[in-house]
Amino acid sequence: MRNGFTFFVGLFLALGLAWAGIVLGSHLQLGHLAPYFDESEGKAFPERMPGIAARGQLVYQDLGCASCHTQQVRRPDFGSDKARGWGDRQSVARDYVSQVQVQLGESRIGPDLANFGARPQAVDADRLTQYLYDQHGGMPAYRFLFETRKVTGERSAKALRAAAPAGWEIVPTPRAEALVAYLQSLTNVYEYPEARPVVPAATKEGEHK
Amino acid sequence: MTTAPHAADNAEVTEVDTSARCALLLLLAFAVLWLVVSGVLALVNLVQLHTPALLADCSLLTYGRTHALQETAFIYGWAANAGLAVALWILARLGGSPLRSLNWVMAGTVFWNLAIALGLVGIATGDGTSNAWLHLPRYVLPMMLVAYGTIAVPGVLAWSGRRHETAFAAQWYGVAALFLFPWIFSLAQVMLVFVPERGVLQALVAGWFVQGAWTLWLAPLALTAAYYLVPKLSGRTITSYEFAALSFWTLLFVGAWTGGRHLIGGPVPAWIPTIAVVSCALLLFHYIVVALNLRAAFSGGGSTVMKFMALGLGAYVLGGFIDAATALRSVAAFSQFTYFSTAQTQLALTGAFSMLLYGAIYFLAPRITGQPWPSVVLIRAHYAAALTGTVGLVIALAGAGWIQGHDLRDPLVSFAAIAAHVRPWLLIATAAQAILLFGNLLLAAHLVRLIAAKSAAPAAGLFRPAPAMEAPAS
Repeated sequence: MRNGFTFFVGLFLALGLAWAGIVLGSHLQLGHLAPYFDESEGKAFPERMPGIAARGQLVYQDLGCASCHTQQVRRPDFGSDKARGWGDRQSVARDYVSQVQVQLGESRIGPDLANFGARPQAVDADRLTQYLYDQHGGMPAYRFLFETRKVTGERSAKALRAAAPAGWEIVPTPRAEALVAYLQSLTNVYEYPEARPVVPAATKEGEHK
Repeated sequence: MTTAPHAADNAEVTEVDTSARCALLLLLAFAVLWLVVSGVLALVNLVQLHTPALLADCSLLTYGRTHALQETAFIYGWAANAGLAVALWILARLGGSPLRSLNWVMAGTVFWNLAIALGLVGIATGDGTSNAWLHLPRYVLPMMLVAYGTIAVPGVLAWSGRRHETAFAAQWYGVAALFLFPWIFSLAQVMLVFVPERGVLQALVAGWFVQGAWTLWLAPLALTAAYYLVPKLSGRTITSYEFAALSFWTLLFVGAWTGGRHLIGGPVPAWIPTIAVVSCALLLFHYIVVALNLRAAFSGGGSTVMKFMALGLGAYVLGGFIDAATALRSVAAFSQFTYFSTAQTQLALTGAFSMLLYGAIYFLAPRITGQPWPSVVLIRAHYAAALTGTVGLVIALAGAGWIQGHDLRDPLVSFAAIAAHVRPWLLIATAAQAILLFGNLLLAAHLVRLIAAKSAAPAAGLFRPAPAMEAPAS
């Protein structure tokens, strides 16, 4: 390693090869991935998020929800993701093509949320808002997403049933509403061609056995 | 330690050391400050795990944000400042001439740390990006890049203008770390924050960045210290040195490819986790060679600095083997997304990186200030706290991860039940984190005392000369 020039070339190569391999390689494979147009339904999947949900994603991002929740369902024979009701199929790259900031997450202190809006035991907006206000299943309360204000005229339709002093009401802030809308928008139910399980199809036709 | 006055000459300290005093002390002071800050935040964060109500009403310190804050303060505050100080000093010493443009280093240090302070405020108030190891808001990133450049350039210059034709292993690692980080950092900034990639490509870039920041930046910085200090303190040459170069290039070429191991089973092309698994196994060669090269550190006895080095190297090599084991798909199905991964990160950052850097700081600071550490007892106390804290933290988190992994596989166990099962382990981890914080406060207080004592006594004959290098008899 006497030759400084060779040394620096080596450093660049080391950096460049890994970057090119992982980042450019996967870019070549997935960079052109587009939503899948289903002719029978007449629309493309994944569907675009409504504006309020896109704002909710920013709330999810800035509060660091991803430090406890993943958004990736693993295939049925890998962990208990399916058995826990998080999704019938594994998440695929196409599920995320329209998301601005992908939040796959690395920790499951709380449940996976990739398919939260489409779970069998779906949670309606009121209950979900209530969960954010009270603590629920180990998740702390996020009281700062709510506002306690004086009732002027009629009570707000959004007011929580939580105990507020007489003449006052507790209402979710726009951030809380956006977050709820985002969580409810999370679905990966649509069966893309690449998301269909391969094994059952092959055994059914009996061609490969 | 270095405190025993010796009648011999003072050649152990030269102008290389004294000229860099202010710049290096500034870096070290900021490093230790952020170490304490991140320790406090990590403690809050751990308490929030078993007592979620703590600070839950405070949006600035909600769990997700405290998590981001402590990670950022640790990596960009403590690790970057301390690593840069140690690498600059070692490169200057091995290069044989004083560091150049030290004013730039000091200006860069001030701006780097301003950017981090601003970034932490940004994360707390909701500007964080939610990318692992890159939570910092977009508006501080360009400033950090420039500041890093002004700090690191003198280190690279010290290497390219070195007096000796041959370069030592410590220099390879130091130059690689100083030189490569800006490239990784700027690529990650552009592809994650400024012009984000589409869909899961973001997760792939993030995986590459986290792994690259470890294998191309933090690990080489820590190894710079290890490869310089272990032979110097033991007075023995590096054993099996002929493998060191191959081991270095293995880390550099293979390291970043292991980034996909966190995405096993995830929505990414299957070849990415596969390559990561293979790379983790290949990288074992590097860890084995490091252990072989520096086995003098484990021979027992020696100073407290050497004990820090032994602990750090042990954690580094152990961490490499655990990474390889958990990258196997059958193990990953169990350990993925659990506290076990947190334990691995802590083993690498607190166990390997911090220990090697503590050792280097205890060796370096008296040589640049020309003063002995005021108290040997404080150093030993810090060592004891660091040892018990790290071992306790890693074992407790691994235990919690084991239970969590077990429970997650059983769909009937609710998350509230899992939280109850891991609670005792998290309490132990909290206690361990408190011990670590205590140890780091000792280091901070000690460093303040050392700097304050600067103008007191003359330094002649303070350091015993380094032992002559000898090849081991065997």
